[in-house]
Amino acid sequence: VSVINTVDTSHEDMIHDAQMDYYGTRLATCSSDRSVKIFDVRNGGQILIADLRGHEGPVWQVAWAHPMYGNILASCSYDRKVIIWKEENGTWEKTHEHTGHDSSVNSVCWAPHDYGLILACGSSDGAISLLTYTGEGQWEVKKINNAHTIGCNAVSWAPAVVPGNLIDQPPGQKPNYIKKFASGGCDNLIKLWKEEEDGQWKEEQKLEAHSDWVRDVAWAPSIGLPTSTIASCSQDGRVFIWTCDDASGSTWSPKLLHKFNDVVWHVSWSITANILAVSGGDNKVTLWKESVDGQWVCISDVNKGQGSVSTSATEGQQNEQ
Amino acid sequence: MSRMKLKEVDRTAMQAWSPAQNHPIYLATGTSAQQLDATFSTNASLEIFELDLSDPSLDMKSCATFSSSHRYHKLIWGPHKMNSKGNVSGVLIAGGENGNIILYDPSKIIAGDKEVVIAQNDKHTGPVRALDVNIFQTNLVASGANESEIYIWDLNNFATPMTPGAKTQPPEDISCIAWNRQVQHILASASPSGRATVWDLRKNEPIIKVSDHNNRMHCSGLAWHPDIATQMVLASEDDRLPVVQMWDLRFATSPLRVLENHARGILAIAWSMADPELLLSCGKDAKILCSNPNTGEVLYELPTNTQWCFDIQWCPRNPAVLSAASFDGRISVYSIMGGSTDGLRQKQVDKLSSSFGNLDPFGTGQPLPPLQIPQQTAQHSIVLPLKKPPKWIRRPVGASFSFGGKLVTFENVKILSQQGAEQQQHHHQVFISQVVTEKEFLSRSDQLQQVVQSQGFVSYCQKKIEASQTEFEKNVWSFLKVNFEDDSRGKYLELLGYRKEDLGKKIALALNKMDGPDVRIKEEKQESEFLPSAAGTFNISISEDIDGLITQALLTGNFESAVDLCLHDNRMADAIILAIAGGQELLARTQKKYFAKSQSKITRLITAVVMKNWKEIVESCDLNNWREALAAVLTYAKPDEFSALCDLLGTRLEREGDSLLQTQACLCYICAGNVEKLVACWTKAQDGSNPLSLQDLIEKVVILRKAVQLTQTMDANTVGVLLAEKMSQYASLLAAQGSIAAALAFLPENTNQANIVQLRDRLCRAQAEPIPRHETPKIPYERHQLPKGRPGPAVGHTQMPRVPAQQYYPHGENPPPPGFIMHGNVNPNTAAQLPTSPGHMHTQVPPYPQPQRPQNGWNDPPALNRVPKKKMPENFMPPVPITSPIMNPLGDPQSQMLQQQPSAPVPLSNQASFPQPHLSGGQPFHGIQQPLAQPGMPPSFSKPNIEGAPGAPIGNTIQHVQSLPTEKITKKPIPDEHLILKTTFEDLIQRCLSSATDPQTKRKLDDASKRLEFLYDKLREQTLSPAIINGLHNIARSIETRNYPEGLTIHTHIVSTSNFSETSAFMPVLKVVLTQANKLGV
Repeated sequence: VSVINTVDTSHEDMIHDAQMDYYGTRLATCSSDRSVKIFDVRNGGQILIADLRGHEGPVWQVAWAHPMYGNILASCSYDRKVIIWKEENGTWEKTHEHTGHDSSVNSVCWAPHDYGLILACGSSDGAISLLTYTGEGQWEVKKINNAHTIGCNAVSWAPAVVPGNLIDQPPGQKPNYIKKFASGGCDNLIKLWKEEEDGQWKEEQKLEAHSDWVRDVAWAPSIGLPTSTIASCSQDGRVFIWTCDDASGSTWSPKLLHKFNDVVWHVSWSITANILAVSGGDNKVTLWKESVDGQWVCISDVNKGQGSVSTSATEGQQNEQ
Repeated sequence: MSRMKLKEVDRTAMQAWSPAQNHPIYLATGTSAQQLDATFSTNASLEIFELDLSDPSLDMKSCATFSSSHRYHKLIWGPHKMNSKGNVSGVLIAGGENGNIILYDPSKIIAGDKEVVIAQNDKHTGPVRALDVNIFQTNLVASGANESEIYIWDLNNFATPMTPGAKTQPPEDISCIAWNRQVQHILASASPSGRATVWDLRKNEPIIKVSDHNNRMHCSGLAWHPDIATQMVLASEDDRLPVVQMWDLRFATSPLRVLENHARGILAIAWSMADPELLLSCGKDAKILCSNPNTGEVLYELPTNTQWCFDIQWCPRNPAVLSAASFDGRISVYSIMGGSTDGLRQKQVDKLSSSFGNLDPFGTGQPLPPLQIPQQTAQHSIVLPLKKPPKWIRRPVGASFSFGGKLVTFENVKILSQQGAEQQQHHHQVFISQVVTEKEFLSRSDQLQQVVQSQGFVSYCQKKIEASQTEFEKNVWSFLKVNFEDDSRGKYLELLGYRKEDLGKKIALALNKMDGPDVRIKEEKQESEFLPSAAGTFNISISEDIDGLITQALLTGNFESAVDLCLHDNRMADAIILAIAGGQELLARTQKKYFAKSQSKITRLITAVVMKNWKEIVESCDLNNWREALAAVLTYAKPDEFSALCDLLGTRLEREGDSLLQTQACLCYICAGNVEKLVACWTKAQDGSNPLSLQDLIEKVVILRKAVQLTQTMDANTVGVLLAEKMSQYASLLAAQGSIAAALAFLPENTNQANIVQLRDRLCRAQAEPIPRHETPKIPYERHQLPKGRPGPAVGHTQMPRVPAQQYYPHGENPPPPGFIMHGNVNPNTAAQLPTSPGHMHTQVPPYPQPQRPQNGWNDPPALNRVPKKKMPENFMPPVPITSPIMNPLGDPQSQMLQQQPSAPVPLSNQASFPQPHLSGGQPFHGIQQPLAQPGMPPSFSKPNIEGAPGAPIGNTIQHVQSLPTEKITKKPIPDEHLILKTTFEDLIQRCLSSATDPQTKRKLDDASKRLEFLYDKLREQTLSPAIINGLHNIARSIETRNYPEGLTIHTHIVSTSNFSETSAFMPVLKVVLTQANKLGV
């Protein structure tokens, strides 16, 4: 792992998320300073393209939509709002504001592009909302109330899998997608949600293994195998890898990747789904890979040597067990 | 308003959350000594409830109830494990009414045990109102009661408590006690009198007394700063001074800050351990406030009922959860993160109505009025739960993968401020790193690319053969290598164990063994002897036996009957000989009959050879003889059936063979040049998820494709579904390791398969090179329009389909490439451009690349050539240099040749590959048939592609040839003083030429004459150094005197002392001339 570009964001407060677009050429960042910034980072450069103001609280996450819909970015904030930004003729503007939550919106995630433009949002009010673009600037909202009591911290869509992936769908026939996503919350649970035939979202599975808040969930990209994989991380310092081999999707088994000494905030799969990046409260980023015998092995400590890291005695207070 | 309320319990009780370590979360309640409940009962109980947030109801699940004889002033739950074997739940410590402290085992309470008391001690005087556990040594508990009593209890030795020092005077009640959160031996106590005392247990005495001067503080609460060792807050119960004071012990003369947010006395406070900026306080003004004690700002006021709360606690494990006990006999659990509990309240209302039937639950004589539930709109006007986000939801670190194996990371490094408080130092930087995990994979892929560029296939295969770990692997590479060599079929045979020379020897040996050399000679002799004797008389039998009948048949010219008779009499040789005389048809029939009768082991082989029916062999041979079958096919099959037969054999092996034979099918597919089937067969046998095993496959596939391109003009470009899948997988893997350019190079070119088209687009754009504006590649997706600005009346445009999966183009935008859209209406513009339905566009892709492309056509921008109608501008400069031609056959001499005659049909296909003539010699079946002689086969195709590596060596030659004429034009005269050099040298050359006899020397001299032009040019331009000029004149003089050795010596001197580049153009030839002159003696 070698640093190839260092982007100075000039954010005035903590950075909470940094995401590259589909092509890996633009970087979106968001911060407690209430702003969202977009940089062109091609050729190791850093050109500020946009400084987006509109949130009235810290901005927790940003998410790029698939480029087939244009250049679209969603952001969510402590101000209970979700804002969808769009580039039009080189200018970024707010195209939609979703105000349907009663508390901090902690996570946003776009559905696989095959489904259309659908955004899942998880909030501290315990609800998850699903925004579907229906055309003419209209967004349809579906809400799952009480998805996670006292708060949903993360949402992550399952990859689009169609039976018979390789065969082109006959023209005119809509692929028979089964839409699913995972969420994690302050009830220590991971929940899997599935869209029913009538378009309603139903809780399909409850995955229990964490003993504290689930901070993040990440559904692994599909690499053509029948196995589904989800990574989850928690306030309890644990990272679990959940796998499901059966077609019905009903049996999930957890495997402990590692127990860290501090809260684990974020997990992210590589595009080829074979490496997991884990970022923890001790400000350490580690990369993990499954070995041939099925064990998860740390292959790298991403350490940029940025000053000294000290952890106060109280920091681990909630996590010891 | 209870929108943040999670749970409630109807108890008037003291409360204690289970320690942070415990899971699940419990809340213990002990009947409060302060307030009698409505029944004035003196019964007391200790109860444990579980906080189950996944249960949406407001009820809290009661796990256990223990009837106690005590009522409690204080209840705490420490994590200390009382004995090694159990007590995972820690210890409940209760302060009683009569100076007693009782230790309970919560796990036993939960288990329903009767004996739940661990220990009890009533050393205190009066009610024990203050208790606290030391967070560093959880076995240490401090307690406070009346008469200034403070005890330090060691739970491991509960009988004898210690004191922190001498009692403060005058004696007063101790209402609060708290251990420091940073320094383990510091303790603070406070009393209603308003005084607070800080004790140092190491010194066993009070070190600081804190009190303000107005003497109206009435301490009801005391809490240390979670992070800063010297700061604490005191809360006052006095309505005249309802404040929270923040003290720093370093400035103990007056409070650092005073929070005056309550209107009446404060009853309890709680400082969040998870965020030092959150302090809860509840008071006689019936408010529960959450304030930032560091600024005094009220962050939130919890919505409560009008009752006072006398106890408030943060949940240690779940930092967003708190509980408050109120005098109306209720403990409520709240979340400070807000959250709608409309559903909950509705549920409660429903519950109420169902229980009471909405009649008159309290016997007031009046039915209940309809309950008003606040409307959604009203709720949206409510401010944030907390004005600032709590620390625990502020993510300080993150690492996310993006395309191309890049990892985006950021972190906010924690530092300790001067006061000891932890702060996040904000780094404004985001790091983008390249993650490379598959070094071997990359290096092998790199090698493969180089091989394809350099066309060094044979040596590559050879290296692979040498490095092979298994026999099979070795075989595969050997077979692949043969594709690039002369006499590929012969070499295949050798690989199968049939070496022609060896066979010849073996046959000779076998014949010798059987008969001995003498016999052969004798045989020949006999033959020659026999023939003359036939000229003599012999008897023609016309008897009625078989002989006679045959004779009669022959005499009448009835060959057919004669043959039948011979067959009947099992005289096979006679039958065949006669059949030959009887003509082709008869011979064929006779052969058939012969084969029908013959039972020899090799009959079927002979049958196949004679009948040319190789399909029969391939289809019905024992699979263990697959090598023999393949050998036969290699020897005999016609080019147009060769591939199919190899294929057939491979298919049989795969379908019918055991696992070992199945893998051998790969060899057949290599012979057949069937890439797609090779992929399928190989994939079946290997674990494809591993990058290196994919590399194993791709190496073979790429090499085989190259071979096929060299040998068979057909099929070379089409990419099967499976191959496309594998290649895009491979490209994805390369991309994931950051090798975007390599990924692009390996991606198949001639396919419209959606996954490949999309990947190519992604790769192209991921390449950091800026794309020229006018040539921006099209996105291979339907674009969906999202109107800008806020929602409102839609701008322009036809109606947006409700289902976004249907397509929609803004006018003027480029249509998506074919193959991506599977359905939906096509924009009229697009339809005009695409004559066939998009799904079939691939049929229009020309089989060979456009001639006007650069020589190394693989350099083309891949995203652009999918719509064949849109040709690139002639001067098009590819925006993205792709550095390898791997998946594209351009640059092959064959395809170039075909480009030059694009209209001509392709008669050469199928025949191109086999250098057959050699096969007709030395074959065991020579003479029976020569199936392989193909007149008119272009010989050039039997050679592997050696010359014409794209673009390489031609350039130099051309330049050299062209340079001469241009220089002639600009020639100046040679200065007179040096003209002598030219005349001397030219004269010498002429003399040499006239006496030289062999053409080679003449040629050398001619060449020298030309090359000396370089010298003359330099003389004209006067660019030679004086030393060289002098030397040349000396040489000329030695030539005049015919002293050539001297001339050569001078020559050597010049060369050794001059600048090489100055003289290299002519000095060597001058030496040649001198040497020749010396040799010829002219």
